[in-house]
Amino acid sequence: MTIGLTHYLIVAAIMFVAGLFTMMTKRNAIGILIGVELVLNAATVNLVAFDRYMGPDRLDGQITAIFVIVLAAAEAALAVGICINVYKNLSTVDVDRANSLRG
Amino acid sequence: MAEHTLEIALAAGVLSPLISFWALVLFGPKLGKPVAGWFGVVFGMGVPLACATYVLFGWMDAMNAGESAALTANAWRGTWAVLGDVPITIGVKLDSLTVAMFFMVTFIAFWIFFFSVGYMSGHSDEVAGQRKYWLFFAYLSLFAFSMLGLVVSSSLVFLFIFWELVGLCSYLLIGFYFDKPVPQYAQMKAFITNRVGDFGFLIGLMLVYFHLGTVDLDEAATVFAQQAASGTGIFASHFTMFGWSLATIMGVGLFCGAMGKSAQFPLHVWLPDAMAGPTPVSALIHAATMVAAGVYLVARVFRLMTPDALMFVSLIGCLTLTLMALVAVVQTDIKKCLAYSTLSQLGYMIFGLGSGAWVAALFHLITHAFFKAMMFLGSGQVIEGCHHEQDMRKMGGLWKKMPVTCITFLVGVLAIAGTGIPGTKIGLGGFFSKDEILAVSYARAFEWEDPERFEEEHHGDGGGHAEVELTKRVLLASDPVQHDNDHAETAHSDHGTDSHAAGVGRIFANTPALPKWMFYLALFTAYITPFYMMRAWWLTFMGKPRDDHVYEHAHESPMMYIPLAVLAVGTVFASYFLFRPLIADAATAGSAASLVMAIDGTVHTPAIMAAHHFLMYGVGGAFLVGFLLAIAIYRNGLAVGDKLKRALAPLHTLLENKYYIDELYDIVFVKGFLLIAKIARFVDTWIVDLIVNLFAAAAERFAAFCGLILDKHGVDGVVNGVAKSSRDFGHIVRLPQTGQIRHYILAATGVATIVFLCVLWASSGANDVAMAATTASLGR
Repeated sequence: MTIGLTHYLIVAAIMFVAGLFTMMTKRNAIGILIGVELVLNAATVNLVAFDRYMGPDRLDGQITAIFVIVLAAAEAALAVGICINVYKNLSTVDVDRANSLRG
Repeated sequence: MAEHTLEIALAAGVLSPLISFWALVLFGPKLGKPVAGWFGVVFGMGVPLACATYVLFGWMDAMNAGESAALTANAWRGTWAVLGDVPITIGVKLDSLTVAMFFMVTFIAFWIFFFSVGYMSGHSDEVAGQRKYWLFFAYLSLFAFSMLGLVVSSSLVFLFIFWELVGLCSYLLIGFYFDKPVPQYAQMKAFITNRVGDFGFLIGLMLVYFHLGTVDLDEAATVFAQQAASGTGIFASHFTMFGWSLATIMGVGLFCGAMGKSAQFPLHVWLPDAMAGPTPVSALIHAATMVAAGVYLVARVFRLMTPDALMFVSLIGCLTLTLMALVAVVQTDIKKCLAYSTLSQLGYMIFGLGSGAWVAALFHLITHAFFKAMMFLGSGQVIEGCHHEQDMRKMGGLWKKMPVTCITFLVGVLAIAGTGIPGTKIGLGGFFSKDEILAVSYARAFEWEDPERFEEEHHGDGGGHAEVELTKRVLLASDPVQHDNDHAETAHSDHGTDSHAAGVGRIFANTPALPKWMFYLALFTAYITPFYMMRAWWLTFMGKPRDDHVYEHAHESPMMYIPLAVLAVGTVFASYFLFRPLIADAATAGSAASLVMAIDGTVHTPAIMAAHHFLMYGVGGAFLVGFLLAIAIYRNGLAVGDKLKRALAPLHTLLENKYYIDELYDIVFVKGFLLIAKIARFVDTWIVDLIVNLFAAAAERFAAFCGLILDKHGVDGVVNGVAKSSRDFGHIVRLPQTGQIRHYILAATGVATIVFLCVLWASSGANDVAMAATTASLGR
């Protein structure tokens, strides 16, 4: 069995759903952050796969993937900073307690 | 003499009482009881009297040197303001009349001020719980200022201003004891009655202002004469009222002011009531000076009077002098008796002016001022001595207790009665002045129809008199051409000083003769006057004391009888020798150039008297008849008088009630006014208020509708509705905003899924070719 585009997409979809599910169910902010990473990586896998199989003569997908990785790193750093501040203020990282955005 | 010295002296005399007034108002309470009074005497009247004396002698010198006409013409005057095109002048009227009046007023007023110090020391100076001694002298000073200003003013506007000021002072002084009801009513009556006359004055003043275009007395007269000659200005108007032309209305209007101030017949009611004021006030204001202001005014505006206006003046004067003399006969109050006598004498003056006896009337004014002021002071002395008893029926026999008062009062009685020896120049004031008025009115009534014959006759008769020379001079000086045209004309003698001389003197072609009954009434009154005066004197001083209580207390004090003695001497001597030449000079010097100058008393009296012996003895001897009658009736007390009273009961009642004029005024004016007020109130309540209330109710309903229904439910409803719905919408919108991140994610995922499914569904149903192509490309 040759590994085709479909396989990559299935893996990415599984990763995406897992990340999404993690974001929805976890109350721990760090857990949510892990979910976000999963979603981002799923998108990255899709990008790389689509680039490899749909336009091998072009590098758009690869470059975008690198951008996403860089952005994810920056976002993670930022998110961790927010988490630390939330913890400082609320003595917890339980996102259900951080509900001051409620309308 | 330096230029304008006399004017400056006159002005100083006018202003000194004003300074005294302010000083007393500001510092009076600190000066205390006698000091404030003496301050008033010295500065309120002493300084003016000094000024007046200086002016009198200065003027006499000028007259002797023949400079007086130039002084009159060059008297200081300036422009105070310009109203429209008409300059309102301010200035000093400097002529013999002013000098005589100024001296008379200051002289009499000085002694009355002096008397007041004595009077007030015996009177309470408490008014409404406050000590007002100083205020009395402040008011007196203010009066002195106003009266002297009135005499000196050369412009009608300023004359009017001072005119109102003397009215105010009269008001204030009548009601000096304003905490008592009687003076209160008296002061109101005086003021309101004067307002009626002053309104006429104002109308006359406006006519002068609009039609003559000047308010200066001399200029106005000149313009008036020119307009009369050319038929322009006020004579061009065809307006008439009561058959009077506009020019006549102007004269009558000005005379109305005099009617109020000099208390002439229909407006006389205030003067007897004004006797409620303190006695010095009665003597000063309501006998000697202020009431004479009306006569003075008529004399001053004499040149603005048409024959019709003068006839009206005569009529009013004649009615006043007769009716008031009759009332005086039945008065029992000594002051009231004098008041009615004053009214009657003022009537004589006004009658004299209307008849053309300009000189005689003014001369009578001055002699009357002397003896009437003196008699009022005498009555004040009597009232004071008798402990405020004013009823003559309770007096009697006072000559033993008050000899000086008795003798001075008698001098006054003799003077007012016109005592003298007919045919000679021996007599007291009234003998010359009143008899002269009668002589002139006789001439106007009986010999006026044929003026030419009249003139010839009296030139011939009176050859021995210096005055006749004057007549000739006057008549010769007048324009011969006009003299031929109209005989019944005036002569005018100031050709030397007045550039408008031509035609100025002879204005009116047909001056009518005086009705004969006027002369008869005046003659009749000449017999009444001595009767009531002698009656008053006899009842007060002669006979047996009728009330022991009053008699016991009777006394007199030097402070009060010194002025009496001085004024008595003035009555006897000063009047004829001092004032008569001055006034005659005022007339001949042109300041009174009048339409009846040709028969002026100055000119013709001795002639008339000499020509008609019955007149000479009939008028000149009247005093004897009156005196004897009075003495005959009241010799033995009141018995005969009471008998007469019962015999003539209806007449007596009529006179005692003063012809019911007060009652008539009460019914017509007071009640009428109240009736009008009631009607007005009815109309107001039932018609005006009704309409207003109707509108108000309608407006209220409408407002309620607008406010409660339209605004609250309409406008507010819309506004609140918008607010409420947006709030409700906000509530709905905020529901999904839980603040739980997972909810947001869930929502985002759900929406994304739905969108994805929709797209999928849409493209699957669209076309298979596209689908196949996609699949093919995907599958590659």
